[in-house]
Formats: sequence, structure tokens, C-alpha cells
Amino acid sequence: MPGSSPLKRGIPAPPAAYPPGPACHRAPCAGSILVALIAACLTLSGCKVVATSEKAQSSKPGVGAPDNKVADPERMAQEVWGAKVLPYLDKKAGPFPEVMALMHSAPESAANTWGHRATEGAPPVVATRLEGRIVSADLASRAAVVGVDADGDGKADVNVQIGPVIRGTALRDALDFVSFDTFANQIEFAKFGKALNGQVDRTVLSGLPRENLVGRAAEIMGVFPLGNPNETPLVTPAVFKLGAAP
Amino acid sequence: MSFRNALLAATFGVGLAFASAMGAQAADLMAIITPSHDNPFFKAEADGAKAKAEQLGYETVVMVHGDDANKQSQLIDTAIARGAKAIILDNAGADATVAAVRKAKDAGVPSFLIDREINVAGVATVQIVSNNYQGAQIGAQEFVRLMGEKGNYVELTGKESDTNAGIRSQGYHDVIDDYPDLTMVAQQTANWSQPEAFAKMESILQANPNIKGVISGNDTMAMGAWAALTAAGRTDVILVGFDGSNDVRESIKQGGIKATVLQPAYRQAQMAVEQADQYIKTGKAPAQEKQLMDCILITAANAGKLETFALAD
Repeated sequence: MPGSSPLKRGIPAPPAAYPPGPACHRAPCAGSILVALIAACLTLSGCKVVATSEKAQSSKPGVGAPDNKVADPERMAQEVWGAKVLPYLDKKAGPFPEVMALMHSAPESAANTWGHRATEGAPPVVATRLEGRIVSADLASRAAVVGVDADGDGKADVNVQIGPVIRGTALRDALDFVSFDTFANQIEFAKFGKALNGQVDRTVLSGLPRENLVGRAAEIMGVFPLGNPNETPLVTPAVFKLGAAP
Repeated sequence: MSFRNALLAATFGVGLAFASAMGAQAADLMAIITPSHDNPFFKAEADGAKAKAEQLGYETVVMVHGDDANKQSQLIDTAIARGAKAIILDNAGADATVAAVRKAKDAGVPSFLIDREINVAGVATVQIVSNNYQGAQIGAQEFVRLMGEKGNYVELTGKESDTNAGIRSQGYHDVIDDYPDLTMVAQQTANWSQPEAFAKMESILQANPNIKGVISGNDTMAMGAWAALTAAGRTDVILVGFDGSNDVRESIKQGGIKATVLQPAYRQAQMAVEQADQYIKTGKAPAQEKQLMDCILITAANAGKLETFALAD
């Protein structure tokens, strides 16, 4: 984040997961133990972060939020990125032509096969891999985007975000092992989404050149929300390999 | 048995049967509690909840807490006393609400929260909230686009006790702060209030005549700000709101306010009632207590389809 005064950052977020009082002082310890536990759990294969609402039904008198909410969303994003997110997306990703075909004919099927729907009130997000050629580059905005032609007709089949500003939370919403419920509130959930975007920008996109992109081959694995099938999907990449110019 | 006693017994038996038949037909009660209906958003929630509850065969009682936590507590007491089977609640402040909802839960009355979340899990049965952060992001992205990614702007924020105020502001800044040529010259709360936003906008404009845009935490404040800008002859200012009200829709159609973000309030309230009904009938709550509903950007392109916080297909 650019350095900015507290005023510029907006209203301070409400207290994250803990009420005022002695619990606050315990919170950092509980938080770091929790993160360590999550990290340990997630590096083991087959481990899943489970939605906690059912456990939370037993209310402990006098205690505020249960300690099973994510304490540090930014750190969680860093820890799960390589260990959990990339393998998950890699496994989930469908070949782009198939994804698009099914998206037109049977969107629910496309969502079930290659995607994840977080809640009823949000579109499902699918993972896909595609190869093609960059046919356009919109670099005027900080939310830069390149158009990639996957079927060789010279027109962009997807627009791919290349940062530094990455819009939306598609990477987060594609994951089936986190949910809004595992975070104390929307702000914490949002921080996690933004941190995942930061991961891909830092590890993949900031290294991409910005000149002479048009014409170069590109191999992408990323996510996009299933929307209007007649609109060009906006893909948030998790992997972006740039090939040679023709 | 004497004839008189037999007659009495028969009458009593018929009376009992009649009473239990009446009891079986008396509908269950759902209490619907929101902030004041002065803001059409809350009225739409109440109307949506009432309509769905009655459709499902419930009686309803609709009450307003006016963002007063004490009043809210009294209303919840009322709901409990009247034997409500569920409370549909848009709450009067996250921290204060925890105790009230817990009290209802302990009295056997489950609460189904909409719009504003509380930061504690396990006291409300369900919390269906708009994805305010996602909504703020799309609103801010449109704002950034309209501003050409540069210029001075003002932010009007909402009531601080409402978690949504902080979430929207955070969402706005997480987008806007990535553009170094956009400069916030003033940030003030107008507490969700239209007249307060009018007054604040007036004075901010006097102190900062060179602003290009205003981003507002909700539509009622946007309406107040727009009135002040119009009065000052500054209809060039780019203004974006949040909620999706009919008032702002009209302004967008007339080319005034540029955009807003729809919270599907009507549908949200209906979903809460549906889940309450399921819980009452089966004792089963959804697997996830907290559920997010995505917001939708409203501009001149789709404003025509917007009516009372619902978008026609």
C-alpha cells in the first residue's frame, strides 16, 4: 500500500474479533498460535480449514468472539499462496475452450466442474488455463489489462489483469477452503482477498515487462467469475508465462 | 352422571376442542425490526420481510429502533414477550446488539440478521449481509474511471457505530489509494443523514472549491450532497453513492449523480425470512451463519431497471 496518513486510510475498522478488555491482551498470542496452527494444518496434504459456525453455536458465557476466526488475514494469504492456493487452482483449472462452451450451454455444470460458488448472492468463480497470443494491451490505467486471443481469430477471448492494481476478489472467491464465515467480519475477509491479489502481483505480475507485449505468446492459469456469457471474461491470473514474440 | 353435569362436560369438551382448533390455526409471529423507515432502504427491507413472512403464513409485527440501542433492546423484549418465533433484525450498532440478540436466543427466540453484521458468531442464527466491500470496490472503480484516475475528491462517511460505514470506506480506499493522482482533500461523516450531508457538503465546498468528485458512503448522504452542489452551481462534480435508492436512480437518469451501488435489500430480507421459516419448521440452520450477497453497480445504463432496491431482469 502507498504510504498514507491515517486520515487517508478511512475510518479505522471496528475491533476485529475480540471485545475490549483482558481478551484483547491475550489476543495477539492466541492469534499467532492460531496462524501457526492453520499454517501447520495447511501444509499437510488433505487438510482443510473448516467453516466454524457449527462449533461456534455453543456459546461460552462472558466470552466474545470464538477464537477460531482468522486473526491475521494478510499473513494467512502469504502462507496459503504457494502451499494451498496454487495447487488447488492448478487442479481445478479447466481448459479454456471447454469452460467457455459449457458456460454458454450449462453454466451450473461449468461452475460445478471447474468452479466454486461462495454464496447464493454471488456468481460462481471458475478456474481455467489457456494459451494464446496477446492482441491488445491497455496500460494507461494502473489496473492494466491485456487481451489474449486463444482461438487464433485475432480477437481477444479474455482480458487478463496484469496489475499493479488488481480489481475484485476472484482469487479468494474461487477457493472452497475459505469462506466469509471463517473471518470475523467483512473487513477481515476483504483484507484476505486483497492480500491474495498482492501475492500474485508480487510473485508473478510485477516482473512482466510493459513494452512490446502485443504479439507475444502467453500461457495463463487464472480465475474469472461466471457472468454474462456474451461479455469477454476478465481473468485474474495465478500463473502468467510470457512467450516469445512472433 | 346427571344430565346437567353431562351437558357441562360436553360443553367443556367442545370448548376445549374449539380452543385447540383455534390454537392450531393461530399463526406464528415473526418480529421485523429495522432502523427508521425515513430511509427507503430500511422500509424496503421491512416490506420485503413482511411480504414473504405473510406469504409463508406468519403474522408479523414491524417495529423501528431508530438506531437507538436501548430502544432496540426494548423492542426485542417486546418480541420475546409476544411469543415471536423469530426476529428479523437490521441492528442498531454491532457492539450493543450482541447482548440483545443473546438475550433473545436464551429466551428461545432465534435472530436472523440482515444488512449489518455483528462481530460475534454463535448468537444470531444467520447473518445475511450485503458484500459491502465488493460493492464499495465496484463503486470506487466506477468513481476512479469517471475521475480519469486523477483529481481532488471528498469522501462522506457513514455512522461510525455501523460496521458498514467502515467497510465501505475501506473498500473505497483500497481501490482509490492505488491511484496516486487522486487526492482526498476532505473526509467527514454525515452519519447517513441527508440534511447533515447537505450542511457538510456546503462547508467542505467553501473550504475546497477545487474539488472534482465526491464519493459518498450511502445514497441519502449523496442526495444531501447533490442538493448542496446544485445550490452552489457545481453540477460538474462527479458524485457516486451506495444503496441503490429510487431517489438516486432518478438523479442518475437525469444526469446528476453519476452512479450508485445496489444492495439487494428486498431479496436479502426475503432470504432471511425463508431461512427463519426453515429453522422454525426443521430446527436446522444453514451451515454458514454469515452469508454474503453481492452488490450491483447502477449507472445510467441500468438505472431504468431499478425499483425499490431490486433490479428487474
